[in-house]
Amino acid sequence: MSHPSLVTEDLTIRFGGHVAVNSVSCAFRPGELTVIVGPNGAGKTTYFNLISGQLTPSSGKVLKDGIDITRMPPSTRAHHGIGRAFQLTNLFPQLSVLENVRLAVQARAGEGWKMFRRVDALTELTARAERYLEATRLDTVAHLPAAALPHGDQRKLEVALLMAMEPDIYMFDEPTAGMSLDQAPDVLDLIAELKRDHTKTVLLVEHKMDVVRALADRIIVLHNGELLADGPPEEVMSSQIVRDVYLGKSTEAA
Amino acid sequence: MTQQINRGERFVKLVVLLIAALLLFAPFLFQDIRSLEVAARICVFIVLVASYDLLIGYTGIVSFAHTMFFGFGAYGAAIALKQMGPGWDAVILGTLAGALVSLVMAVAIGLLSLRVKAIFFAMITLAAASVAMVLASQLSQFTGGEDGITYKTPEIFKTATKLAVTEEGKVARLFGVKLNGKLAAYYFVFATSLVLFLFMIRLVASPIGTVLKAIRENEARAEAIGYRVVAYRTFIFCVAAVIASLAGSVYSIWLKYTGPETALSFTIMIDILLMVVIGGMGTMYGAVIGAVLLVLAQYYLRDLMGSAAEALSEIPLLPFILEPDRWLFWLGIIFILLVYFFPRGIAGTLSEKDAKT
Repeated sequence: MSHPSLVTEDLTIRFGGHVAVNSVSCAFRPGELTVIVGPNGAGKTTYFNLISGQLTPSSGKVLKDGIDITRMPPSTRAHHGIGRAFQLTNLFPQLSVLENVRLAVQARAGEGWKMFRRVDALTELTARAERYLEATRLDTVAHLPAAALPHGDQRKLEVALLMAMEPDIYMFDEPTAGMSLDQAPDVLDLIAELKRDHTKTVLLVEHKMDVVRALADRIIVLHNGELLADGPPEEVMSSQIVRDVYLGKSTEAA
Repeated sequence: MTQQINRGERFVKLVVLLIAALLLFAPFLFQDIRSLEVAARICVFIVLVASYDLLIGYTGIVSFAHTMFFGFGAYGAAIALKQMGPGWDAVILGTLAGALVSLVMAVAIGLLSLRVKAIFFAMITLAAASVAMVLASQLSQFTGGEDGITYKTPEIFKTATKLAVTEEGKVARLFGVKLNGKLAAYYFVFATSLVLFLFMIRLVASPIGTVLKAIRENEARAEAIGYRVVAYRTFIFCVAAVIASLAGSVYSIWLKYTGPETALSFTIMIDILLMVVIGGMGTMYGAVIGAVLLVLAQYYLRDLMGSAAEALSEIPLLPFILEPDRWLFWLGIIFILLVYFFPRGIAGTLSEKDAKT
């Protein structure tokens, strides 16, 4: 098996007396799509925040390709290939859809410091941004401000931003939440495509069981901040302890 | 990018071009000393307000230290001209020294405090600006204290200097305008202001400009997609500081006098804020419109009211209300109305109007 691209070692964060993520050790490999499940408040999003840098752990480490990124700010982690889409839509609301995606492309290209050229003249950046808009079927609304999009399209733009970062590690936090039934497949197809490219590591927080079954190579279960189960989908889903804490509640969560 | 340019935006651009043309031909169109004074002040304030717009409008940084940087530039040039005599070496050295002090202060304030919350940053800049004001009045052997300093500027800017002479040896005229040093000084102010303003227009349209807007819109996401927010903020704070400083140097060369009133007072900071709000934040063109309106109002509203009161002297009450001494009251009313009808500033609201429909 290939070397892990992302490793968390005893990752722990405390907020006052509350331990939100408790000593989670896990390794993720390229070509592998891991779905992270767990009831609300299990620490899934907090775990993501620790990996992508919005939070710094109380103890433990995050390694990307063997490099310790635990203390790096999110921007540096992004340059190390960690990409993240957010659960709550987190866009640049007054900028156009195209500008939103182009900002991600430009960050990836490392051209954020150019100051003597018009951004419109950098046609390569725009062309790349447009490709991601086509992939997410947002090309028809490219010139609208992000805030003017309906909720489902904003969720798609959130995913388009992550795609445009072209990271090694793709982290999706409930990417289809709040999407209509006909929009969700656009996003899920994109994620499935990433799987086919065997160099990418994909982490996905998802509640919908049909999505989990369709995409997961591996499932990890978080509960009260602890890693409860880790393994292939069939195994994890059939284990009694997981059924008790999570799957039993999944019908009401969905 | 094929961004549709809407009618409102085109109208704003047209107005700005018209203002630029009026400023370019100002000495020929308005042939009195006061008008030229107003035109030069407008040029300088356009640059000053636009550089402030880089902070507040584009990046979302609230700073009260902008006049301080303006003052560094003004005092730098003024002290150099006073101490070294009226040469270009003094102008260049003083301007560079002012810009350097501004840069160092901006880096220090930026790195120390751009990580903290906006409100604390604003307070720190306020404190720095107050210290600068106290220093300027205390170090009177250099700054002239409250009286300020008067000095001579390079030969070519002297009113008595003849740029061209007629056969009789008198100063030549073009369309009735004396080709003297005053004219040269005005075009010096105009040209430097134009260059600085065009630089800023280019800056906001460049990749870095889009990053600044991204930081204003959503700092956390800008960081998450790979932009080091602290670095960009510090950078733009430094750029704005240096531009403000250069504007200060230019203004001090034009005025041939620098004192707390013209270069450091908090009134200037309030003027900048009003201009950027009235013109429209985050538009650059708003700086032009805001500076023109406010400077014109400050210079001419009194006169206008005086003549209006005289014209209406037959009617009861009206002359009393329009008494020229009440000009600040009317200025206040005009501001309130402007903010009410143009909530995003004149340039901002006009550009937006058609975009929605």
